[in-house]
Amino acid sequence: MKLLEYQGKQLFEANGIKVPRGQVVASAEEARTAAEALGGNAVLKVQVPVGGRGKAGGIKLIDSADEAPLVAEKLLNMEIKGFSVEKLLVEEKMDIAKEIYLGLIVDTDTGNIVMLFSPEGGMDIEQVAEEKPEKVFRLVIDPTSPPPFYRLRPFIRQGGFSGKLLNELTQFAYNLLRLFLERDLLVGEINPLIVLRDGRVVAGDSKVEVDDNALFRHQFEVNFWEDSDELEKEAREIGVTYVKLDGNIGVIASGAGLGMGTMDLLEEVGLAPANFLETGGGITEELMYKATKLVCKNEKVSGLIINLYGGVNPIEKGAKGIVRAIKELNPAPPVVVKALGNKQEECWETLRSGGITVVNSVRTEAAVERLVELMATQKQ
Amino acid sequence: MSILLTKETRAIVQGVTGRIGSVQTKWMLEYGTNLVAGVTPGRGGEEVHGLPVYDDVYEAVEKHQANATVLFVPAPFTRDAVLEAIDAGIKLIVAVPEHVPVHDVLVMKKEAEKHGAWLLGPNTPGIISPGIGKLGIMPGNMFVEGKIGIISRSGTLSYEIAGLLNEAGYGQSSLVGVGGDPVVGTRMVKILREFEADPQTEAVVIVGEIGGTAEEEAAEFIKVMSKPVVGYIAGRTAPPGRRMGHAGAIISKEGQGTVESKAKALTAAGAPVANKPTEVVELLKERL
Repeated sequence: MKLLEYQGKQLFEANGIKVPRGQVVASAEEARTAAEALGGNAVLKVQVPVGGRGKAGGIKLIDSADEAPLVAEKLLNMEIKGFSVEKLLVEEKMDIAKEIYLGLIVDTDTGNIVMLFSPEGGMDIEQVAEEKPEKVFRLVIDPTSPPPFYRLRPFIRQGGFSGKLLNELTQFAYNLLRLFLERDLLVGEINPLIVLRDGRVVAGDSKVEVDDNALFRHQFEVNFWEDSDELEKEAREIGVTYVKLDGNIGVIASGAGLGMGTMDLLEEVGLAPANFLETGGGITEELMYKATKLVCKNEKVSGLIINLYGGVNPIEKGAKGIVRAIKELNPAPPVVVKALGNKQEECWETLRSGGITVVNSVRTEAAVERLVELMATQKQ
Repeated sequence: MSILLTKETRAIVQGVTGRIGSVQTKWMLEYGTNLVAGVTPGRGGEEVHGLPVYDDVYEAVEKHQANATVLFVPAPFTRDAVLEAIDAGIKLIVAVPEHVPVHDVLVMKKEAEKHGAWLLGPNTPGIISPGIGKLGIMPGNMFVEGKIGIISRSGTLSYEIAGLLNEAGYGQSSLVGVGGDPVVGTRMVKILREFEADPQTEAVVIVGEIGGTAEEEAAEFIKVMSKPVVGYIAGRTAPPGRRMGHAGAIISKEGQGTVESKAKALTAAGAPVANKPTEVVELLKERL
């Protein structure tokens, strides 16, 4: 789960990582109140789960609280890379002396955690990394023996810092690492980490991703799900992964690879997926019933392809759920189910007697072709 | 011959008394797998499908000289179950559970490496060597004994590829699922080395996905391999920045971990990449 900037900053603040003064708002009037609390000198930032919002015009400076409602109104009506703006973060304007980059990521190849640090942070960090790689410092951390505070100081010193500021920056690095380890973060990035002219240091932005699979052992200060898509929220409750996409073919698969493979094959015949839904290994009758219903809630869906393998999954039970869901849908889109593996015959029998088209070839293309035929027939 | 799971394998099942563990144990036994015991803490002394159940891995290893394990424990307990198996000296560990926290996998991976143990998964269908047995959840009816090695990041897609190979008359030596999570215990390239050395295997199919650089790393070794390799990579139409499932399938930045970057690396190494699963068979035919 990727957090929005303000959510990440709430997490930072609760864990000893200083952030600018500010408030999250959802309306023009709230923006005025928030700006007033900051003495009118403020910056308004759209809260979207993608980068590049500054370049897209999603960050505005104001000099008085009176400007806030109009500017906020405009920002709240924006759409950035397909995400409509629901919330703004209103923060104190800062007198910046220096922008630094500090980040922690998982190196998925080696299984190490990597701390990245650059004295030249800010919007163009990627350019810095490419053109001046000697300005980006990397500390490889063995997850089984993370470094103590004193080992981080010489690492940060490489950026040319000393004395009080070095101590302050090391504290940020240490607190971020502790947060990363204690809360199972996948990404923890501060860019820019801002040194103000008055000597204070604050996290100017936050980029945080938490591991959904580790939520069972944490109590977070932040309500992550608050701002996520309704269907994606519902999917989480059902226990499946759902990603909304732009096309009109619903996709349900019993594995991530098979789901993506199915999407790729749809594209081959000029169709586009309305979603990606992966059940994982938890198929039950109820789960398939709810998943089928969920996918069809998207009004754009005009065809549905379900691709299942019975290895760990009882596809014969899933079939019952599919039949029940399709019967309740009025109108139901054309549906093709391809299902193979353990108890495949029982699964096919349930589907066929429920009036559902079954493809028993191992070729997913065959299922896609069949769906195209069904959709053409229905149009006539 | 086959790789990793061979005639010498003596395996235990961790989580043998659970709902999934017990069903899968039955199917592994029916498939002919040499399972010697099961482990569930607190259930020692019981029996599951004729297998004696022990309270810990140490006792099962001591009494049955077990050298492999397959796990069906809940995700929150997977880390400790794997670490116990490593500590008990087991050298082949198949971690089936999905939804294991990434930070847990980091620790499992490091410990497995330190002890020279093979860790497949988590989130793996396991390993099957048709004619010998299977440690995992793949449907046995989708596989036939033969000469093709398969390495896969995706369980379901590997079943599809195996099914297509069967139709064309190509059986499999072993199918190894490395796991679909962002971080997994074993790199693809290590499995590739085993297939290169295995006399039964005549060609290898890599079933990849977007995300990470495992396929790119494998490409480096393919350059010096004597056996033909064919690839297929899913996720061409996945949007950047969205995690496709609980899987490691995510294109983090434009141009990295994409189907294109992986296909380019593999093709340059002499391993053609199929656009769709059915093309895998055609590409193999040309090379065998």
